[in-house]
Amino acid sequence: MLNEDRIILMTKMASYEEKEGKKYVAIGSYFRSDYITIQVLKSVLSAALAFIIVFALFILYDFEGFMQDIYKIDLIGFALNVLTWFGVTVVGYGVLAYIVYSYRYAKAKKSLKCYYHNLKKLNSLYNQQQ
Amino acid sequence: MTTLLEFREKVKLFFSRNETFILPIIRFLLAFWVFATVNGRLGYMGKVDNVAIVLIAALACSFLPNGCMLLIAAVFSLLHMYAMSMEVALVGLCVYLVLFLVFYRFSSKDSLVVMLTALLCVIKLPYIMPIAMGLVGTPISAVAIGCGVIIYQLLQTVVSCAPTIATMDEADASGKIRLIIDGLLDNKEMLVMITAFAITVIVVYLLRRMAIDYCWSIAMVSGAMINLVILLIGDLLYDTKMSVLSAILGSLVAILVAKVIEFFRFCVDYSRTEKVQFEDDEYYYYVKAVPKMMVTASTKTVKKINPQRRAGTTAQRGVNTGSVAVRTTPANKKEDYEELF
Repeated sequence: MLNEDRIILMTKMASYEEKEGKKYVAIGSYFRSDYITIQVLKSVLSAALAFIIVFALFILYDFEGFMQDIYKIDLIGFALNVLTWFGVTVVGYGVLAYIVYSYRYAKAKKSLKCYYHNLKKLNSLYNQQQ
Repeated sequence: MTTLLEFREKVKLFFSRNETFILPIIRFLLAFWVFATVNGRLGYMGKVDNVAIVLIAALACSFLPNGCMLLIAAVFSLLHMYAMSMEVALVGLCVYLVLFLVFYRFSSKDSLVVMLTALLCVIKLPYIMPIAMGLVGTPISAVAIGCGVIIYQLLQTVVSCAPTIATMDEADASGKIRLIIDGLLDNKEMLVMITAFAITVIVVYLLRRMAIDYCWSIAMVSGAMINLVILLIGDLLYDTKMSVLSAILGSLVAILVAKVIEFFRFCVDYSRTEKVQFEDDEYYYYVKAVPKMMVTASTKTVKKINPQRRAGTTAQRGVNTGSVAVRTTPANKKEDYEELF
């Protein structure tokens, strides 16, 4: 027999699963540390690639001048300078990613708590019927 | 107010019923607007600057995710830049890649915001986006808005540098790259706009989440004012040549748009606010409950009329005879009465 309460609850849950739930369930399937580590690593990789592109543009900006001065400049000092900037960019972006993804994980868990509560409620509705 | 609320319910009902058709149409129109604007402002490659291509691309975008629209728009602009100069296209590609790498990590779903910001910059109304996203989004939306501003300024720089690039020697690749990069980095207007919009998004977001009466209205007005003040300070410091009148008018339009958003997203009745206090084993609760303004949309009443069936008659559409239309049919042919609403 059809149970109206159960159908309403299932419809709401299905709607949730289709919308924001899809994203949150995927996040909730990870442990906090795993999720944040993966996302921070991806962000660090993105930041490293972005830095390489910007550095390439920096070289292209005055390519002739750079090639003329390449034997005059202190290459080790230049490399250290570039690496420092690289480190600052990557670490800064990594920290920002850590903050953002920690917040997102907490938000997803909070949302999923309500979803799991509804799952329990649905289970109890089934049990009541039996 | 009741009429407006009824109208809101009707609009919501209409959209929820016809979402399957309306969303692709809106996507198509938006994509067409984006591609036509890119072609209109750049238009260096004749093959791409073609209405048929724009229509086909817009049609494809109506069924594809919003990210694809952004990607196709980027490809369009890069093709135009390539037609102008390969070096310009290279710089454009690098800027897009950096934006993609930075932006995609945090706001991959906000591609629509990027496009709308760039489009609103074109029509001189970018002030709408930070206030709107502060109201309906999160502070992370500032990244997407910033990307939209950078894309607009990149295209502006390309357009303004086009005459100089056309006169430059083809071998002077470095000079062309320098021209575009300098044009972008020396663009103080871009920096001022990004700063102002980022601060506005955060301020509007924080204010609208506060537990105070009329928080949305306070947030949108404060956001518009802060945005304006930062833009004016930026203009004073860096001489960005911002039109004050245009900024004020733009901010007023932004407030109007924000009011419309508020009407659809956060329509509450503060006069019926309830403050309750209770406790359980672990906490004391101080709750402020503000009721939403709600009316049910008036629905059509369908009245079914079953007139007396006379021998040899049946109903027919189009011939009005009071409540049902009647025409004579052969007695041996049985037909049901139609319902007229």
